[in-house]
Amino acid sequence: MTTRTLFLRAALFVAVTLTLAPTAIGAEGPPGHTHAFAAVGEPAKPTVSTRSVQVTMVDMAFEPETVKVKAGEMVHFVITNKGELLHEFTLGTPAMHSEHQKEMATMMDHGMITATGVDQKMMHMDMGGMHMSHDDPNSALVPPGETRELTWKFSKDAEIEFACNIPGHYESGMVGKIERSR
Amino acid sequence: MTSIVRLSCIATVALVLGAAASLCARAQTESHPDAAHGDQMHGGTLYGQVLVEQLEYRWKDGHDVTAWDAQAWYGGDYEKLRLKTEGNLRSPQRVNDAEAQLLYSRLVGYYWDLQAGVRHDFRPKPSRSYAVIGLQGLAPGYFEVDASTFVSQDGDLSARLKADYDLLITQRLILQPKMEINVAARDVPELHTAAGLNDIELGLRLRYEFAREFAPYVGVNWKRNLGETAQLVRRSGDDPDEVAGLVGVRFWF
Amino acid sequence: MSAKHIASAWVARLALATIVSAPTIAGAETYDLVLENKTVNITGKDRTATLINGQLPGPVLRFKEGENVTVHVTNRLKEETSIHWHGLLLPSEQDGVPGVSNGFRGILPGETYTYNFQIKQAGTYWYHSHSATQEQSGMYAPIIIEPKNREPFRYDRDYVVVLSDWTDENPDGIVRNLKLYPGYYNEHKRTLVNFFREAGEKGLGAALKDRKMWGDMRMDPTDIADVAGYTFLINGKSPADNFTALFKPGERVRLRFINSAAMSYFDVRIPSLKMTVVQADGNNVQPIPVDELRIAVAETYDVLVQPREDKAYSLLAESMDRTGFARGTLAPREGMVGEIPPHRPRPLLTMADMGMSFGPTGLDRGTPHPETDAPGHVAPMDMEGMDHGAPQASGATHTMPDGSTMAGMSHDAPASAGPTHTMPDGSTMTGMDHSAMGHGAMADPLANDTGAPPGAKVLSYRDLKALSSLYDAREPDRIIEVRLTGNMERFFWSMNGRMYNEAQPIVLRYGERVRFRFINETMMNHPMHLHGMWMLPRVGNGARDPIKHVVNIKPGSSLDVDIPADAEGNWAFHCHLLYHMEAGMMRKVTVVREAAAND
Repeated sequence: MTTRTLFLRAALFVAVTLTLAPTAIGAEGPPGHTHAFAAVGEPAKPTVSTRSVQVTMVDMAFEPETVKVKAGEMVHFVITNKGELLHEFTLGTPAMHSEHQKEMATMMDHGMITATGVDQKMMHMDMGGMHMSHDDPNSALVPPGETRELTWKFSKDAEIEFACNIPGHYESGMVGKIERSR
Repeated sequence: MTSIVRLSCIATVALVLGAAASLCARAQTESHPDAAHGDQMHGGTLYGQVLVEQLEYRWKDGHDVTAWDAQAWYGGDYEKLRLKTEGNLRSPQRVNDAEAQLLYSRLVGYYWDLQAGVRHDFRPKPSRSYAVIGLQGLAPGYFEVDASTFVSQDGDLSARLKADYDLLITQRLILQPKMEINVAARDVPELHTAAGLNDIELGLRLRYEFAREFAPYVGVNWKRNLGETAQLVRRSGDDPDEVAGLVGVRFWF
Repeated sequence: MSAKHIASAWVARLALATIVSAPTIAGAETYDLVLENKTVNITGKDRTATLINGQLPGPVLRFKEGENVTVHVTNRLKEETSIHWHGLLLPSEQDGVPGVSNGFRGILPGETYTYNFQIKQAGTYWYHSHSATQEQSGMYAPIIIEPKNREPFRYDRDYVVVLSDWTDENPDGIVRNLKLYPGYYNEHKRTLVNFFREAGEKGLGAALKDRKMWGDMRMDPTDIADVAGYTFLINGKSPADNFTALFKPGERVRLRFINSAAMSYFDVRIPSLKMTVVQADGNNVQPIPVDELRIAVAETYDVLVQPREDKAYSLLAESMDRTGFARGTLAPREGMVGEIPPHRPRPLLTMADMGMSFGPTGLDRGTPHPETDAPGHVAPMDMEGMDHGAPQASGATHTMPDGSTMAGMSHDAPASAGPTHTMPDGSTMTGMDHSAMGHGAMADPLANDTGAPPGAKVLSYRDLKALSSLYDAREPDRIIEVRLTGNMERFFWSMNGRMYNEAQPIVLRYGERVRFRFINETMMNHPMHLHGMWMLPRVGNGARDPIKHVVNIKPGSSLDVDIPADAEGNWAFHCHLLYHMEAGMMRKVTVVREAAAND
């Protein structure tokens, strides 16, 4: 099998996965469309009054491991990766993380992400009309040594974790809790 | 007279087996002091085995036969001292054969041992001795092969080829075809053998391995003298074409 | 927010949550071990075992990284003994191999010997006797070393899972049986009954041709394991005794698998649970979720599992020859029993496992004087239909795009042999151009075909990436050829055609990077273990190639393993199948300073 056919197969596979996965993250919808992540809140633009929370990533852990938010609060996360490996910060319910892990495994298998970074060329390749990327508003990929920011307005009642869904990382305990207070 | 002969044959076999067994016992005790001196074994340990390949009773109208074929060895991975014995006692008392070989055996290839030593035939009388060179091992196709050439004290050259194969019907039920041929370079009238192909023997034994070490069997054995030799045998009053049903036991320790 | 803060939080969490399954000797820096013969009853019959502190396995030793350890070992056996600290980096004097380790002559009966060394690493290891046949009689036990810094993963519970194989037979009797009749324990030989079944499946002609081919080679494709009749144990418990590890649904459970078996490889799985491998041979790896892993003899793997349901999960370690399971249960409550599935088919060797008996390739042997193969160590490879294209002197290896080496064999094996060119863990072969290899049949030196269902992820060495690299990726200073040889008909085993008792030591220069080029010319797996120094199998992950103390070399395959020679002295180097070591597959490796080497 040549490299080229491998890529084509990968593209096809990803396309199929995306079509089938009900909670596919990254499928762009029209405004007002109910996103998969709607259950946990929605992206927001930070304002001067937005509370800022620092999150540090090390190899297979977040610090802090719990973040307290008020119901409906908007939080600006500043996430720094101090580890040697690529990590992800994603807000979601355990079920959403579990689904997203499958996608991350697929992306890993096909070289879009590696253990230590993102392959931009692979990531933005046109996959037969479908477009798979990692640009959902509830998620940030943070390469080693870099910092990403994400602002989020939390919904009122869902059970929310922030997690790294790179294969093996969530399993190793790289997950934290959003604790809601009234 | 005949009972004395028979007794002495049994005594010989017993002696051979006894000697081998004592070697075996030594092999087992020797593996320990070695380890007790700080130097591990990891190769170079001596072992021994007594394998009675055949100990069987053959029915043949008129004169039944008790036959044996056994080997014992003691030694290491490359070099072994090997004892082989085979023969038969006839009943009613007729000629009987009994031979033993004492051989130095050395591994020369993955599957083959080169062997050299002496053979002594206690029967038939008069007893005689031979020098032996042989090759024993596993031939392509999984045939156990034992090929020997002999030079007697009188300078007579002869050779013997034995081959057998284990056909597993199940893990424990094993059918073993076996073949033996003898050739001689010169006529030896007192042994009723003539130059050329002397005889061919085919056996088929079905054994059941109750344990690896113990397997009773039933089978048939067919032996035919050929050419000049057949004439000589017939003249001596023997049948050059013998078929026998048999029952026996294969065991080792 | 600081690293220190994180570390203390983690320590607190671990201290609360850590539960150990076996009795431990905790805290103190002095440890006492007593070796004695005791009666055990594993199968229903009383047998004499050789035990450490009267336990099977022996007590877990819990060390701390950096700690200075003193261990008093009292020998109450009637024979000389020893304790070897498997996988630990320590001075040769403390390594515990009689006749090899510097100045160590074993521990005599009645004697108390004191070991003293500093712990320079962390993770899961083990210790065992290195004398006579004591290890297979029960003298093995786990070592757990707590790291100085926090671990790169989190768990709520911690269990040691010592896998082993027990037989009521006397080990010396086993060696003798194998010497007298190497097929003694194989109850799966090909029979006439199998033949008719095969003929029915693929036609009489093909079945006959296959039999003829193996017959002509005088090799037995059913020769998967040398010894059978084993009862497989988890922490000393038979499948009937069912070792149970408790959890609360949702908790992360760390399982520290140690293969302390004498002769048995295990395929480990927990049906319906993913296992995330986080350590291999005590060293952290980038976490890799798998459905199944094969653990070679003497390896260790640490995995995390997160059972979420309130039910019993079976912890299964199926022996590679499929003669049994070591079985335990992960359960929310005591007394629950997980299901045991039927055995999967026993593997058969294929032409791909057929040795590449090229003989010496002309590379360095590492010995002071040239050595030639003693007679009988290399099977002739003159069977029809086999075309070893590679001439003997050409090196016989083939570097693949991912950096690992493969046998340069070009078997045009008859179709009936059934060697299909499939890589069972195809997913990890990404980026490999299969066509470039151009071999009709070859053994992938790293893939483990366990018979797992399609889509199931089975761990391969390629998946193991060191979390932090201890050594730079660099080319070796020299390449030493280590051919794994021996005679399956006579049951002796060797390296480069020489048994231990007839071989010279392999001499390494302190500080050099040596590459052992393993070429397995036999039809069996050999878990090769080097004492005192790490082994870095070149699996294509560059500086992140895994850091191991045991590297499995599959039948008929070749693998490069780099060794940074950073520990002076004399070290044992051997196949960890105990009866292979016993039968000669061992060498002494001597690491000398340059000045001494020139003498």
